[in-house]
Amino acid sequence: MKQKVLNALIGILVALLLGAVLLVLQGYNPLETYQALFQFSLFGYYPFATTLRNAVPLVLPGLSAAIAFASGVVNLGQPGQLVMGALFATVGGLYLDLPPALMIPVLALLAMLGGMIWAGIAALLRRFFDMSEFIVTLMLNMIADYFTAWAITEPFKDPSAFSPMTPQIAASGWLPKWGEFNSMILFMFAAVLVSWFVFSRWKAGYEWRITGQNALFARLGGCDINRNFVSVMLMTGALAGLAGGLVVMGSTHRFIRGLGANYAWDGVMIAIVANNGILATFLYGLFFSAIQTGALGMELITSVPNEISQVLQAVLVLVIVASREYLNTLVEQLSARRRAREART
Amino acid sequence: MDSNLIEMRHMVKVYPPSVLALDDVSVEFRRGEIHSIVGENGAGKSTLMKVLYGLTHANSGEIWFKGKPVSFREPGEAIRAGIGMVHQEIVLIPEYTVWENIVLGVEPVNWLGKLDRRRARELVRQKIDEFQFNLDPDARVEEISVAARQKVEILTLLYRNVEVLILDEPTAVLTPQEIPQLFAELTRLRDGGHTILFISHRLEEVLELSDRITVMRKGKKVDTVDAASTNRQELARMMVGREVIFTTRRKPQTPGDPVLQVEHLTLREDHGRVRLDNLNFEVREGEIVGVAGVEGNGQFELVNTLMGIQRPTSGRILVRGRDITHCDILERRRMISFVPQDRGKMGASLTASVWENAIMTHHRLNPNLSGWRGILLNTRYAQQFTRQLIDAFSVVVSSPRATFRTLSGGNQQKVIVGRELMLQSDFVLLDQPTRGLDVGSMEYIHDQILRIRAEGRAVLMISADLEEIFLLSDRILVLYRGQLVGDLPVEQTTPQEVGALMLGGHRTSP
Repeated sequence: MKQKVLNALIGILVALLLGAVLLVLQGYNPLETYQALFQFSLFGYYPFATTLRNAVPLVLPGLSAAIAFASGVVNLGQPGQLVMGALFATVGGLYLDLPPALMIPVLALLAMLGGMIWAGIAALLRRFFDMSEFIVTLMLNMIADYFTAWAITEPFKDPSAFSPMTPQIAASGWLPKWGEFNSMILFMFAAVLVSWFVFSRWKAGYEWRITGQNALFARLGGCDINRNFVSVMLMTGALAGLAGGLVVMGSTHRFIRGLGANYAWDGVMIAIVANNGILATFLYGLFFSAIQTGALGMELITSVPNEISQVLQAVLVLVIVASREYLNTLVEQLSARRRAREART
Repeated sequence: MDSNLIEMRHMVKVYPPSVLALDDVSVEFRRGEIHSIVGENGAGKSTLMKVLYGLTHANSGEIWFKGKPVSFREPGEAIRAGIGMVHQEIVLIPEYTVWENIVLGVEPVNWLGKLDRRRARELVRQKIDEFQFNLDPDARVEEISVAARQKVEILTLLYRNVEVLILDEPTAVLTPQEIPQLFAELTRLRDGGHTILFISHRLEEVLELSDRITVMRKGKKVDTVDAASTNRQELARMMVGREVIFTTRRKPQTPGDPVLQVEHLTLREDHGRVRLDNLNFEVREGEIVGVAGVEGNGQFELVNTLMGIQRPTSGRILVRGRDITHCDILERRRMISFVPQDRGKMGASLTASVWENAIMTHHRLNPNLSGWRGILLNTRYAQQFTRQLIDAFSVVVSSPRATFRTLSGGNQQKVIVGRELMLQSDFVLLDQPTRGLDVGSMEYIHDQILRIRAEGRAVLMISADLEEIFLLSDRILVLYRGQLVGDLPVEQTTPQEVGALMLGGHRTSP
């Protein structure tokens, strides 16, 4: 644990240093830039609330990817599951009008259902036709993309709008805000807790973990790995779908073109950086959100373009993933050398 | 000191993070001797040879070869200098012929730079004659026996004119009948001026073959002795550090009712090859049945069909009278304890913690491990359960939370055996239960197997080690090309008879 935190901190520090070198080469002042970056993302009431809100569509697909990968399930369908979740929540919000206490949970459940159905298709294709979920989930992303595009230009189009989008959902389905804090972050905290609890305290979570590490061992131990595969697919689909639903309910209030943005892929990237750890995915999700959020503010007061945030993210991913293995090997080699010196004397 | 062909001085090797594999080892090898290196698993004998051969690098120490200091960065350099090694796993191309494998990498070419097939074949033929190896240069490697493949490996090195041959446990894959021939060939090579370094932990054969013997224990050299002036007991004491009992502790016992019954079990693969051919046998209460056979004669498929990984083409498997032929794995695990041969692939998850490995299968069968409505895992009881296992099976581990990979091989196997025996199943299937273990752990596992026999459980044990089979079994089954060619009470047979059956499926030696 201590080692992991240390690795992460070293990785972040090295990445920031490399980023600073790039900034200097471009003729910018790295200290000012970083100061602005974090000032507009972490320090202060409004920046911090924004960072938390922006973290929601990163952390949920991140959890989805982390649980799937750690269980040996290659679900790369988070983008498709996210937009399907968003579409389900939107359609629910267009046709239902219940009191908010009922409406919000119903729409959230619909969003999860949308993600589950989309992931479930891949799970069934694997179960019955032995098609690799790797390729199927990727292909389903395309289908989801065009399907939702059609849905908002044809059946659910807002006739008064000039570009493809749905009308606004019923206001009872809007997520409430407390000052700058959007209640969508409560769903994120709940999702982190539930994911952690299922993954480390449920018997099913135990079987998923072991299957991800050594499927043959789990199978010989009596785990039903086919059923577990389907459960993991459905749960991770639900997490990605919920992310889409929350974006609609908490921020856009309708399905607009490009709603999914790059959230899901960023989430997958965060899961990889976090080595598929649940809490680590949450923390890295917040960190990446801080960089993305801060970059917008940074652009306002410095002349550094906000694309630098993407450069920083890329450097972070490379450095952290590379250093994870390298630092472990380095520590081991150093202790081996020390041991050898002891043996010689 | 010019009789010393190789001197290794003060070798130190640490495998990261802190496994001290060689602890200041100094040893000399003379020209034209057969020098055995013996020791338990993990004693450092293979590491010492790998360092010499350039496969791994020492942290400190010097190697002198023919009076000059050398340091081989990779095996190719060692071979060019005249030192070659035959590994435990044979690395040849099965589809190629013997001569093609031998010349591969140093092929004779004609003036166009093309492979000169006729000359290559002729050169190999000459080498075979020179060393009297009794090999057909045109046979394809996949069609020849393991012993013959080993000869091909040795010849591959001789073809490259090595003076020093290192052999890493070459007899482990051979049957008792094949060993004398290998030894005759090695002796002939030595008489022709080659130096042979022979790694083994089988003391009988080491004493028979060697001129001198170096004993290693826990990374240190204990001593180098003349083979003529020592004996098995002394070597064993040096190797283990205490007296070792070689005789069986198996007490006579009358077996009870049948527990496992296998009837007409047949497994035919899609392309028609028969892997298991109409097997019929039973294992009774309080009986250990050993399955002998050269690897690849159906043992793997027998285990797979018993455990439900593969479905038999026909036949039935019954445990306690219940037909389990079509049951899923969990249903079988209610009645079968299973210790697989490969710890890292089938028996455990190396990256998980000890407790996560210890509760596998129990988590489905032991209600104490279930929390609320069977959905939650009772992690507190899981820790307690793991502690019980650690105590009952003398596992050396810092905590149930330790990563399984950090345990030694012996302790890993104790966790796996302990987990399976704590299932309290009537039928216990053991696939190579002591493969790769040191003598101490091996003795411990053997005691546990005899204990469950005394409790009246039925044991089916597959082993490549005939000594182990004879030590423990009440009855011995012999598998040859998927057929059961022998079902022999241990008192009425000999290793020679079983070895002959393993090789040819009939009792007379070939």
